[in-house]
Formats: sequence, structure tokens, C-alpha cells
Amino acid sequence: MTTPTSVATSPDDGRTALAALRRRPGELVAALGVLALGIFVLVDTRTIVVPGSANTLGPRAFPYLVGALLVGAGITLLVGLARGRHGEEEGGEDVDASVPTDWRTVALLVAVFLAHVLTITTIGWPLAATLLFGGSAIVLGARPWWRALALGLVLAVTVQVVFGGLLGLSLPPGPLFESVAVFRG
Amino acid sequence: MDNLAALLDGFATVAQPQYLLYALFGVFVGTAVGVLPGIGPAMTIALLLPLTYSLDATAAIIVFAGIYYGGMYGGSTTSILLNTPGESASIVTALEGHKMARLGRGAAALATAAIGSFVAGTIATVALTFVAPVVARWAVQLGEPDYFALMVVAFVTVGALLGSSVSRGLAALALGLFLGLVGTDTLTGQQRFTFGVPSFADGVDVVVVAVGLFAVGEALHVGSRLRHGPVHLVPVERGWRSWMRREDWRRSWKPWLRGTAIGFPVGTIPAGGADVATFLSYATEKKLAGPHRAEFGKGAIEGVAGPESANNAAASGVLVPLLTLGLPTTATAAIIIVAFQSYGIQPGPLLFESQSSLVWALVASLYVGNLMLVVLNLPLVGMWVKVLQIPRHYLYAGILLFGALGSFALNFAPVDVLVLLGVGLLGFVMRRYGYPVAPLVVGMILGPMAEDRLRRSLAISQGDLTTLVASPFAATAYGVMALLLVAGLWLKRRERAAGAVTSGHSSDDTSGHSSDDASGHASDDVSGPASGSEQDAGHDPGSGTRPSHAATSEETNR
Repeated sequence: MTTPTSVATSPDDGRTALAALRRRPGELVAALGVLALGIFVLVDTRTIVVPGSANTLGPRAFPYLVGALLVGAGITLLVGLARGRHGEEEGGEDVDASVPTDWRTVALLVAVFLAHVLTITTIGWPLAATLLFGGSAIVLGARPWWRALALGLVLAVTVQVVFGGLLGLSLPPGPLFESVAVFRG
Repeated sequence: MDNLAALLDGFATVAQPQYLLYALFGVFVGTAVGVLPGIGPAMTIALLLPLTYSLDATAAIIVFAGIYYGGMYGGSTTSILLNTPGESASIVTALEGHKMARLGRGAAALATAAIGSFVAGTIATVALTFVAPVVARWAVQLGEPDYFALMVVAFVTVGALLGSSVSRGLAALALGLFLGLVGTDTLTGQQRFTFGVPSFADGVDVVVVAVGLFAVGEALHVGSRLRHGPVHLVPVERGWRSWMRREDWRRSWKPWLRGTAIGFPVGTIPAGGADVATFLSYATEKKLAGPHRAEFGKGAIEGVAGPESANNAAASGVLVPLLTLGLPTTATAAIIIVAFQSYGIQPGPLLFESQSSLVWALVASLYVGNLMLVVLNLPLVGMWVKVLQIPRHYLYAGILLFGALGSFALNFAPVDVLVLLGVGLLGFVMRRYGYPVAPLVVGMILGPMAEDRLRRSLAISQGDLTTLVASPFAATAYGVMALLLVAGLWLKRRERAAGAVTSGHSSDDTSGHSSDDASGHASDDVSGPASGSEQDAGHDPGSGTRPSHAATSEETNR
């Protein structure tokens, strides 16, 4: 919460109470997630095999503690939320708290990232990295689109030559650059 | 005396040309990532870990030390010129520093911050040189329960004192502890929470978690609320003459020394790290400012000199428990521990004996790095300003690219990059709903060590739980922890009050000066200092129900 609109720290304020309400579902899910993970940890800990040779404190004790801490934190969070205590979104130099959340950008960034993961082995690291850089820059507002892709390609090839070629990281060059010697360590 | 001899050996190591180059590379990269929003030293070191496996341990540690120190210097440049601090430790610098920059005294603010950082960094490194071996010698006598007590103290203080909400901090800590559990139990060889996935048998890689939280999470979060349009910076006057006038020196040197005296001890105890130190220093300077007190909130040089020094001194102080006890008290320190471990080195009391040459080379590189930083920083301000102006879409695209590269380079398996995305989404959710990220990292790294200590303690005592509090040290540690908690929560109130006063001033100031801001981004100016105070103010259980300005004035009156 950074800018004046973020006076949202005060749920009393009519305008901001609305904003808080809008954010409540997600926060509730986050708190429930903590609680659910805690319950899962407590239940799943019972399946950890305790060998006969185990010391006084076996492999289950610490997980039980962690599960209990998660459950405790989750319950405290839920109680806090019910009383209207909301989390403060983290601020930052480039975070504009006055604009509504742009879910489309987040979804597209995730999609671009997934595409990168899936293509590393098929089209090779340099092209997959070009896709990642160009794609996310365009999603974040880089124009014209071809400049973002060109910059991405230059950056990716540089990284490939420096880290793959010179430092010997085995980044897969992919079919297109397979024959270029400097791209392989 | 043999410490000095060892330190001289360390200098001899660092003076070799290739290590000097590594140190230069480290401070350079560190300053760059400190200047750039969105990335910090913790993430950079995590990212570089897989890429520096080909270096020898000394070279890698020197690079990481440079990044650690450089990040501290770089942060002040950003907060003075951009007034939207990245790390909480530089919020205070933004309060006064940005006001100075707007009054046309930006160069003086940058200079007092840099020189103050140098003075503090050097004095604190000297203190580290003498304090650390003493602590290490004493720490050798600590038993398993004592270490466990120390770790519990670190957990509680990092979880409850970092960030603004205690329950969210503890939730993040517990998440980190859970991630630390995933993998094969070291004592019994049993798999825990691996979900039958083979790549989880070795545990979730810390590099993936750190990069995912700090890089991918941050990029997604910024993407969700990107501040569009060009980056607004306060122009800095050119030329040596404008850096520091005689008057500025006269007003700065005492705050430098006081900041150091506050920062180093605060850094050594696990009490929330550098931000507590900066706020304490700010409050002290304000109290002692005398005739200049009225300038506070409008650009008082003492308010930059003191906190910046405290910030750097605390950064050195953090190294004391890190090197002598293996106890990380900040996210960056936790990553540095991982860096040591990746070279098979376990920080702890024996480090000064078993890896003596490495440790002293590290300490020597801190002296050298400080010198490099003060030389690099001031003349290169123009370049850092350019770095700050990188278009944000390219900056965050680049962060994503290098994050993906770092994770892929771990095992050259795309699945690591997929896990990175998952952790990134977690980081996004955490940022969005106000869960601090640092406790997660500390919990994940320190968790397995704590479990180890706990189980060994109880194995020795044959299950007798009283062994955990039986030793005087452990009992004292738990007692001090209770005190720290009370003191820490009290300090948070003070911080809020300090921040609130200035944020009040800043909004007055903005209305007066908004003509400077051609682009209608006047609101940007309040955002920096206000973010600090509001983040905390909103979190006070109970006080979160008033409009913030009403809340702030009440805080002040109290």
C-alpha cells in the first residue's frame, strides 16, 4: 500500500472498505491455504516411516511442530481477518497501489513463462529465452513488439555465448544453433 | 596479535590481481542491483550461486561479500533520487535524502550517504575483526541445546519482528520450515513430503526458492500494478564542489559515528536487522539535532548521514553471528550461508580455525570493497542514474530471464524452472496479501539445522526435555528473546511514530513543491515515506481502523 489511495490501511473509510472487501476473497483463500497446509502436514506426518533405529526424537517430531505452527498461524490469520485486520500489500519502487490489479498481465506473464519452460529442450535455450524476455517485455508494455524480441535475442545469444560457451554451462543450443561452436561449452 | 597476522594474510590474498577483480565485480554488481528496484543482494547471490560453481571458494565468497556491501550502497542512491525505497532499511534515507535532492542538495545527500557508509563500513569491519574471533572462541563451548535456543530466538525475532504483521510473519516462517522439511531426513534416511516426486528427494533447492520468491514473485507483483510512464528522478547537480560543503562535513561526522555505534551492535543481535538500526539512528539524530531539528522532515543532512551509517554498520554486524555461530538473521545472510554450504563450508565457531585463510580473506575483502565502493559510487552517480532509468518492462523481463537461467543452470532440467514458477506464484500471493518473504527464506535454511540440533540434544539427554533450558546460556537466550520481542514491538511503535511525523511533513511539502513535478506524478513523492509508515500503521492490531493521517497524529501525540 503505497500511494494516497492506500490510505486503505483504514477499513473505516467508506471508499477503502470497499477495496478491502474486494480483496477479502483472496486473503481468505491465502489464510485458508496456510491452515489447510498445516492440517495436511499433521496428517501426512503420520505416513513418515519411523525406522526402529530412530533416536529419541524420530523423523516425525519436527514435522508435527511445523504442522502445529502452520495451523496456529492459519487460525490466527482467520480470526484476524474476521476482525477486519487485513494484510498490507507490499509496496515498491515500481508498484502503483492506486491502479487496480491487472490480472491479465499476471496471467500472460505466467503463460509466457510456461511457454519458456516447455520449449527449452525443443527449440533450445537461446530461442526459449528470447521468447521469455520478448514475451514478458511486450506483456509489460514494451513497444514496438519487434524491438523487445530483437533485444531478447541479443541478450539470449550473449548469455549463451558467455555462460554456455565461455563458462561451460551446458545450456542446450537447440537445433538452430547446434552447429555454432561458440554456443557450446 | 595472531588475528592481525591472519588479517594481513587475508589482505595478501585479496591483493592478488584476480581477487581484486572479483571484488570489483562483486561491488559493481552489488551496487547495480542495489540501485535497481525489484532485485536485491539476496536474490543476486542466489542467482549467481549456480553460475559461480566454476570459481574457487575464496573467489566466490569475495564476490558475494562485494554484492552484500554494494547492495547497501546502491540502495541509498535509489531512495535519494527516486524516493521509493526498495529495502525497508533505506526508508529513512528517503525521508530526508529525497527532500534534500528536491532542494537541489542531491549531491550532498548522496555524498554524505556514501562517505557515511564508508566510515561506518570500515569501523564496523574493524569491530568485526576483533569481535568475531572472540565470539567464535566463546561459541566453541556452546552445546547442542544452546544452538537450538539461538535458532529459536532467530526464528521468533525474524518471524515476528520482520514485516508488519506478527501472524503473517509466523505463517511465512512456518511455510519456510515446511519447505525445509521436504526431502530425505538426514538422520534416518526417510523421505518426507516428497509426494513421490524423485526430484524432491534431495529437497527443494534453496536457489529455486530464493530466486522464485525474490525475482519471479516480485516481477509478477510489479506486473500486476505496474507504474506506467517514464521514471521520474530528481536531477543531481554536477561537479565536485557541490558534494559536501564545510558545513555539511561539520554536521555529518557525528551522525556517522553515532550511526555506526548504533548499527553494529543492533546488527549482531537477531533483532530485525538493519531497519531497526536505521530507525533508531534517525530517532537519535532528530533528538540531538539541536538548532537543526526544525529541518527534519524537510531535508536534514543528519537524517541521511546517521541512518545510512547505521544501515552499513548493521550489515557488518550481521556477519558476526553469521560467521561465528552460523546463525543468519536476515534473508541475505541466510543465502550467504547457503553459498558457504555449496562449497562444503559450514559457518560456525570452528570456521575461524578450519577455514582461517578464507575467513580472513573475506574480512580483508570487506575493507577493500568498502574503499572501492566509496571511490566508485560518487564519480559514477551519473551512470547509476542511467541504470535507474532502464524502462521497467525491459528491467522485469530481464529479471525473469536471469531467474529462469539461474534455476535451469542448477541441474539443466526444465522441471526446476517449473518449480521456480510455482514458488514465484507463491511469492506473488505473499506480497499481495502482506506476508513477509524473509522469514520464509530464513526458516527454510535454518529449519533443518534447528531440527538437527534439537534431535541431537534430545538424543544426548535421552529424551529429557528439560535439557533444552538446563544450560545457563539457553535459559538466558530464551529470556533475552522475550525481552527482544517486547523491545522490538515497542520499537515498531516508535518507528511508526517517526515515520508518521515525517509522512505528515512530506505531504505538506509535496503540496508546496508539486510544481517541480511536471508530469502530474505528485503523488509519487509521498509514496516513499508514507509506504513505510502506513505499512506499519495499518498493522497495529486495533489501530488499523482509522484514516491514516488521523492515526499518525495520534501516534505522534502519544
